[in-house]
Amino acid sequence: MCDHHDKLRSNNKDLQAVEKQLDRREFFKKTTMGIGALALGSLLNTEKLWSAVNPLSHPEQAITAFTKNKLGLPHHLPKAKRIVYLFQSGGPSQIDLFDYKPKLTDMYGQDLPDSVRAGQRLTGMSADQTAFPIAASILNFKQYGESRAWVSDAMPYLSEVVDDLCFIKSMHTDAINHDPAITFFQTGSQQPGRPSIGSWLSYGLGSDNDNLPTFIALVSKNGSGQPLYSRLWGNGFLPTEHQGVQFRSGKDPVLYLSDPENYDGHDRRKMLDYLNKLNGIAHDAYGDPEINARISQYEMAYRMQTSVPEVTDISDEPDYIFDMYGPDSRNPGTYAANCLMARKLLEKDVKFVQLYHQGWDQHGNCPGGVRHQSKNTDQGTAALIKDLKQRGMLEDTLVVWGGEFGRTVYSQGQLTDTNYGRDHHPKAFTMFMAGAGVKPGFTYGETDDFSYNIVKDPVHTHDFQATLLHLFGIDHERLTYKHQGRRFRLTDVHGDVVKDILT
Amino acid sequence: MESSVPDFVLFIGRFHPLVVHLPIGFLFFAFILELYSHWKKHSAHSMAIEFALLAGAISAAVASVLGYMLSLSGDYDVSTLDTHFWFGTVTTIVTFFAWAIRSGKIDIGKFNVLKSKIAALTLVVVLVSVTGHYGGNLTHGSDYLVKYAPFGRTEKVVLPSIEHLGEATVYDYLVNPILDDKCIGCHNSSKKKGGLSLQDSTAIMRGGKNGDALIAGNAQKSELIRRTMLDPHHDDFMPPEGKTPLTEEEKSILSFWIEKGNADFKVAMADLEAPEEIISIASLMLGLEDKTGKSGIAMPIVDEVGTEVLKDIVAAGFKVRELVYGANVYEIVLPSKSVSSEKGDGLDVKLQKLLPIKNNILWLSLKDNFVQDRHMETIGQFKNLQKLEVEKNPITDAGVGYIASNESLTGLNLYQTQITASSFDIFAKMKALERVYVWGTTITEDQVANFQAYGEGPTIILGM
Repeated sequence: MCDHHDKLRSNNKDLQAVEKQLDRREFFKKTTMGIGALALGSLLNTEKLWSAVNPLSHPEQAITAFTKNKLGLPHHLPKAKRIVYLFQSGGPSQIDLFDYKPKLTDMYGQDLPDSVRAGQRLTGMSADQTAFPIAASILNFKQYGESRAWVSDAMPYLSEVVDDLCFIKSMHTDAINHDPAITFFQTGSQQPGRPSIGSWLSYGLGSDNDNLPTFIALVSKNGSGQPLYSRLWGNGFLPTEHQGVQFRSGKDPVLYLSDPENYDGHDRRKMLDYLNKLNGIAHDAYGDPEINARISQYEMAYRMQTSVPEVTDISDEPDYIFDMYGPDSRNPGTYAANCLMARKLLEKDVKFVQLYHQGWDQHGNCPGGVRHQSKNTDQGTAALIKDLKQRGMLEDTLVVWGGEFGRTVYSQGQLTDTNYGRDHHPKAFTMFMAGAGVKPGFTYGETDDFSYNIVKDPVHTHDFQATLLHLFGIDHERLTYKHQGRRFRLTDVHGDVVKDILT
Repeated sequence: MESSVPDFVLFIGRFHPLVVHLPIGFLFFAFILELYSHWKKHSAHSMAIEFALLAGAISAAVASVLGYMLSLSGDYDVSTLDTHFWFGTVTTIVTFFAWAIRSGKIDIGKFNVLKSKIAALTLVVVLVSVTGHYGGNLTHGSDYLVKYAPFGRTEKVVLPSIEHLGEATVYDYLVNPILDDKCIGCHNSSKKKGGLSLQDSTAIMRGGKNGDALIAGNAQKSELIRRTMLDPHHDDFMPPEGKTPLTEEEKSILSFWIEKGNADFKVAMADLEAPEEIISIASLMLGLEDKTGKSGIAMPIVDEVGTEVLKDIVAAGFKVRELVYGANVYEIVLPSKSVSSEKGDGLDVKLQKLLPIKNNILWLSLKDNFVQDRHMETIGQFKNLQKLEVEKNPITDAGVGYIASNESLTGLNLYQTQITASSFDIFAKMKALERVYVWGTTITEDQVANFQAYGEGPTIILGM
């Protein structure tokens, strides 16, 4: 550009080059853009501005980054290497699944004593009820395994693996409605905008497989009920390459990875190299760290063109594996198929696989709803745990099962002998974990006779998050990211590691 | 025991440390002017000296009165206090006297011969210094001034160095250093705030004005702990505002000593059942290697690994990840199917590259890479391995035999290998082994059940 100036220049080539450097337009272009870029960069984030390393232009640094974690992690010896988080969205009823309360049977239909609720705020959906009739679970509970864990008959498959599970019956959270509660569980804050757990782990520990994203989200197809947003697996203010990549349920798990019609992709490498060069120039000019994120995402997408079809191909799984996961597992996009997919991704050392299954929001027809939800998830969950165990992967893979809150002991709406509804209940609910570093066949925490208040060993959402990071060798108080002048962490200023559940 | 002195007197008394610096300044200034005049042999500053002396004398008198009020609080060591009191009083009197001579209010001929003016001033300065020193001792403790002096540090007790945490007496090695650092500044034998000294065991047991400092076996009820645990804005919170508070770690050490160690001054770490957390904190305090690691797994102490060595390993196709930052312990992964020869050729060379860091490897994964028995011989040298994944490889019982002497391995993955139930005896010998995965081998459920019936050895995990 600006070639018309050349005629004003010296005939000497060397002098021309010098003149060009001192050119008025060149000067203004560089300084204005430079200062602008610097300002922009610091608005975005100064840490990003100074720390970003372009992996392509600095392969040496990439190797050091690989062997030497630049954040000084892990802080201590980890137990877990990967995690699969089976998120049961909607708030599964702990009273109808795990938290067995036999004393309630005699109180069926009686009003919940005020002393139990103690004036706790309720949702708008049941707050104006004139009575709060106690609805004992009409599902049948039995004890299973050597650990004698109580499980209702809604989950027959899970009852076979209770000796591998670590139940936490004393979970509690701050939020009472779905979106804030689920955002709270996944990001540590009820307001959207913070990075999710998977993004923190990706940022802190990096990837174990260069050909697949570190953090992958799978959502059961045909989900109804409360919506899920991609920000639940979003990177928040962390660099963009740490966001979760959602694998879709259809023919193409990741859109636009396959070649368009009439193009065989033979010159894609060349195209990408040139594009990277252009992006590199833009990065040198503007210094915007997101350009690096973009470069690395293009490269990741390129590698995913081969790695994703390979990992999502379930045709080589033997029949007995499909049988174990259940008939749904042959139907891509179902919970069971996603569980099988999760195992395959974990086998490839994807660090964080996040499953979501919607529909656990039984405001009405709770017994039927819980049975239906369990039918769709029970076999897949149990099979995944068994499958990971027989492959030796439960040794360093953490399995987490849980929703965003629990459900009330009292019936929302009318209580009959065979039916009841349950409203949201943040004060006590059940989750379970299995695998790396948590005690198998163990139950932690207790609720009162109404499964309403916690009477022993409460575990707050932030405690759970702190424990999760601890298992990965991370001190939750020391994994921080400076954003808008403040150092943020997953657990904000809260959280205690639940040491009693660790092996 | 509540002080019977009115609060107002104590309030005024606390201005003593403020006011006391005025006479010091005035009198030193007078002394310097006097020397200067003497040297220059003229008396132009005469009036200034006189004025400074008078101001010094008056402020000294005020400081003395305030000092007396402060002493009524009873927070101070009586003998040092007495000395300070008398020196202060004498200083005030002598200062008035010096002023009187200087201003000619007293004029005795004989004194002129003795160069009374400068002699009196010198005396005043000496007295002020001595008084000030004792005052400082009262406030900061008698060893404050010379604690870091390059001489005379012998009084500090040097504890014999120890190699194992168990040898450490809890009080001497852990508790006393904390008290020394955070408490003794105000609670020592000369400055006993609240009548409490924490200087030594007798003093600690004696307690303070508010009773016992600690109740053996009950940390929560022990004043020493209770006050550090309060809300920092609480009046009783210790250390008071402006001083460095105790860290969580320090508090847990003190609690541990009182609770588990029954506040015994002789008890050693080895005598007590210390929780992991305490061991970890204590190890750090004493500069011993934290063998438990924060996650409770023993961590070997290993040599540092050079970058060149790591580059070599990465170049051979391994993935390297440091398991604890800066601890030089690593996870090594050879991605599946990195070796294509069925005989495992090529793996030999790769494994050789790992030998320089054989003690640094805690986790090793070589799954699905045609690992042969001969390769297991190399792996047998990796004595600090805690997790070994060699599934989906043609390994036989002989191969397992090579790692039999490993004493740190807890998890061993042998699924889809060619091992048989004969390996069970080897597993049983491996001390740390907890779980072995043998799905997809010829091993049957009955064989496993038979082995587990003994109740010893690791859990053998089959599949469906």
